[in-house]
Amino acid sequence: MTHFPYFVAVWLFAIGVVGIVRSRDYVQLIACLTVIQSATYVLLLAIGYKVHAGAPIFSDHPVGSPAVDPVVQALVLTDIVVGAAVTALLLSLVIQLRKRRGTIAPDTLQPMSD
Amino acid sequence: MTHRTRTTVLVFLLLLLVPLAVSGLTRLPAFGHYQGPYGDVINTITVHARHVTNMVSAVNYDIRGFDTLGEEFLLMSAVTGVAMLLRGGRGEATSARPTRVLRRRREGRSEAITGIGRLLAPITLLYGIYIIVHAQLTPGGGFQGGVIVFAAALLVYFGEGYASWRKTVRSTMLTLGETLGAAIYLCSGLYPLLSGAAFLQNTLPLGQIGTITSGGSIPIINLGVGCAVAAGFCSIALELLEETRLP
Repeated sequence: MTHFPYFVAVWLFAIGVVGIVRSRDYVQLIACLTVIQSATYVLLLAIGYKVHAGAPIFSDHPVGSPAVDPVVQALVLTDIVVGAAVTALLLSLVIQLRKRRGTIAPDTLQPMSD
Repeated sequence: MTHRTRTTVLVFLLLLLVPLAVSGLTRLPAFGHYQGPYGDVINTITVHARHVTNMVSAVNYDIRGFDTLGEEFLLMSAVTGVAMLLRGGRGEATSARPTRVLRRRREGRSEAITGIGRLLAPITLLYGIYIIVHAQLTPGGGFQGGVIVFAAALLVYFGEGYASWRKTVRSTMLTLGETLGAAIYLCSGLYPLLSGAAFLQNTLPLGQIGTITSGGSIPIINLGVGCAVAAGFCSIALELLEETRLP
């Protein structure tokens, strides 16, 4: 079980892809996209983790004591905030779609299916 | 493509992908046995090189500062995109009085909700500002603190209703905050160029470790990010809430 968190990431990614492929409206699709995004968070944080190490913040414990990788944490941190804003952008696309076409189901929007 | 064929293709592709992913991941270093050099190097030298104690902030606003500039503009363009998309269908009517609100309860809000909102909103706002200004010392920073400030603004909406929310959170204030945040970031990137240093190089005096002004340009950039994140999220909420207003 030494690689368990990596498999959690794969599981989240796979279940997100399944959700996107089988989604019947765009709100569900965007929710699945955020699930896929959280797979990258799990993977990045798992890669940077070190056993018996503290947070990479040395305000209360001395420099040189073991700490986890701050680079991946910084990546995840900015990505969560920007990801939330991008999700809002996608949802406003859905709002406009609902206004223009009256539906948010991908299947009914295909140009081929009259 | 029908649902059935799509699912069949998906199952086939997942059968292909999962063994590849598993064989790749099992060759990574085992969980908890991190081997990369960068994290350890940053943890060892940055406290004395930059006089900050929060390594994540040091990475975000100094060592990887150029990337965070990109993230900041990504956030800004997402906010601009939301505003453009929604105003495109609705018109530029944010100045209209939000008196007629569709399907939103205006009377009879529970006193408990208003009371809790009034109690919690200032505390949350203070906590958000605390998280922003202590970025280089303790866990937190502009991104996290900005979102907490946004939560305080939302508490005003829950407690007082939409009209009061619009009176408290002015849209000109939000535009100003968003622009100011990006401008602070850009200026602290361009300022080192005047003295012949590189873009975003930390040339300001570093100060004493553990104080609120330590870290040179890190607290300044962080303040800009906090400003931009709080204003950006409030703008997104404003644009989405405007959608429910009657035309």
